[in-house]
Amino acid sequence: MSASSDSIELYADDPEWADIEPVRQYENPNPLAPIFYTEEYRDATDYFRGVVKKGDMSPRVLDLTEKIIRLNPAHYSAWQYRYKVLLALKSPLDLELRLMDELAVKFLKTYQVWHHRRLLISHPQLSSSKSSSFYLTAELRFIAKCLVVDSKNYHTWSYRQWLLSNFFSGGERGKEEEEVWKKEMEWIEQMIEEDVRNNSVWHHRFFVVFQSGIRVGDEDREVVRRREIDFAKDKISLAPSNPSAWNYLRGVLDNNNLPYSDLSIFVRPYAQARSPDAEADEVIDLENPSPSKGAQLPCVPAIEFLADVYESGKSRDDIEKAAQLWKSLANEYDTIRKKYWEYRIKEALEVLPA
Amino acid sequence: MTSDSELLVPLHVAYIKSLGENKDDLVYHMTAHLRLNAIYWGLTALCIMNQKEALDREEMIGFVMSCWDDEAGGFGAHPDHDAHILATLSAIQILVIQDALDRIDIPRVVKFILSLQQPSGVFAGDSFGEVDTRFSYCAVNALSLLGKLSELDVEKTVAYIRSCKNFDGGFGACIGAESHAGQVFVCVAALAILDRLDEVDHETLAWWLAERQLPNGGLNGRPEKLEDVCYSFWVLSALSILQKLSWIDSDKLSSFILSAQDPDSGGIADRPGDMVDVFHTLFGVAALSLLGYPGLVDLDPVYCMPASVIEAKGLRKSWQALERRSK
Ligand SMILES: [Zn+2]
Repeated sequence: MSASSDSIELYADDPEWADIEPVRQYENPNPLAPIFYTEEYRDATDYFRGVVKKGDMSPRVLDLTEKIIRLNPAHYSAWQYRYKVLLALKSPLDLELRLMDELAVKFLKTYQVWHHRRLLISHPQLSSSKSSSFYLTAELRFIAKCLVVDSKNYHTWSYRQWLLSNFFSGGERGKEEEEVWKKEMEWIEQMIEEDVRNNSVWHHRFFVVFQSGIRVGDEDREVVRRREIDFAKDKISLAPSNPSAWNYLRGVLDNNNLPYSDLSIFVRPYAQARSPDAEADEVIDLENPSPSKGAQLPCVPAIEFLADVYESGKSRDDIEKAAQLWKSLANEYDTIRKKYWEYRIKEALEVLPA
Repeated sequence: MTSDSELLVPLHVAYIKSLGENKDDLVYHMTAHLRLNAIYWGLTALCIMNQKEALDREEMIGFVMSCWDDEAGGFGAHPDHDAHILATLSAIQILVIQDALDRIDIPRVVKFILSLQQPSGVFAGDSFGEVDTRFSYCAVNALSLLGKLSELDVEKTVAYIRSCKNFDGGFGACIGAESHAGQVFVCVAALAILDRLDEVDHETLAWWLAERQLPNGGLNGRPEKLEDVCYSFWVLSALSILQKLSWIDSDKLSSFILSAQDPDSGGIADRPGDMVDVFHTLFGVAALSLLGYPGLVDLDPVYCMPASVIEAKGLRKSWQALERRSK
């Protein structure tokens, strides 16, 4: 590595750091793991090791760890030590959060970025302060912004789920909680509007509606079930081959022990080729929206769903109809899973009396 | 540029051997936090290709031991790094494969691992406190390899995994999180080690896993995401444990993995045309082994280690891979 340090400032040349003894990275004689660093990174991490060794918790360590994190956001020791120093200095953690806003977007895929936020927001300085609501709702807004950049980021989504269940599910925030969950549903609708195939949003909807407590206004579960089934049907009609919407529909039915056969009228048109005169005699049925105009039919999830409906009928005739549909999946519409469909046929026929 | 007919074993071996040499690049120093894991990935890939001797045993053991964090009682990813459960599992796996477990202070490592369990039952990765079902798997796997599973609070561990189960049959990284093939693997494998596969909704989950295969043969980790070679391993290993591996179109998946090889310098990438790395090289080779690819050594999908090593320790669970083809 060349020694062209003209453009970079090194801690080694800074008199303010003269009291710290830099500690070189352990140079391993093993060729499996030799170490070559850029000069700037080597210098910073040498001083970082020196700081740790000395137990230095002065404000300058915040600059040093920030520098290392910017060069390598996966350096978990730098994150860990930074948090310790923040606490030791009783630093204003809201300012740290704002600094993290920039880093989170920059290093969206690094889990440390999100874990650090978790530690900050959980700290009583923020979570038990008078302005805690302000900080927490700001987090939700910030996450929404990050999801505009990367709408399926796993860390970002799980951070949101964690925030909601940790701070807005206990009932301690009363009215404000109601408001947050109401807004959450509106935001979900908007996210699905933007990309109806985003499985992360569908998962999140299930989490909000069925797995994180019962919202004010949602006490009548029958109404909620109906609403969710109608919602899924509506989105399926827009993009019939979207597995996320079908999985959601199945999830709602399974979760509430409802029979798939309730949906057969809705599903049938999706499991058949479009008939040429369909447009002419189309009757608008609000409860069972038809496939959108350009949609490719039949679609795999609908054939599969209808086959499940038949299979649950249990008569020989029903099972044979189901087997017919599975055959069409195995040989025509979903050949990559041929083995699976053949397994379903075999299993179903085996239980029939000879 | 693709070679979709065969696995380029000599090139992959050369690629893995070359990893430690000539590393004057940025990527290398940025990944110091994964160094010990990388050695485990490389070693396991070599074992599966029946080339264990390609890396020097003593040097490797020396490096592993230089990553020991004496203060914490675990292994860091790199000398001078703080102990982390990911690195600790890799260290144990390497030492088990190299038959050198006697080098470590087992009671101390067990203490370190158990200290990471949280009141909820999940494990943290280190004292910084990130929690993830991945770390629960690391703990269960490591304790099992050390023969110290009896010291684990199994009920508590299983309870957390159970709380990560989703409506689609899959598992997420923490409570409330979306199903993801990587998390499905760690949860299913951990439950397999603990003999608690009764917690899994077999049919729903196996179907969700089979649904990960795309028309081009590759597997993705979640609906509507891109295919990636590493998911080949996660999905296949979970399916092997559920004894449903035959649901996958093996020919198409094999050609997808083989098409992600670098035919000039060896190694396997996440998908055709991308840069290779040792992580995807292991998971590509491991998936091919489970698919019965000719000439490869059997891989244990639960521990992601050579099957013979796990059998010798009496730890084999009832998974099922595809029969090895002779040609
Ligand atoms: Zn990958």
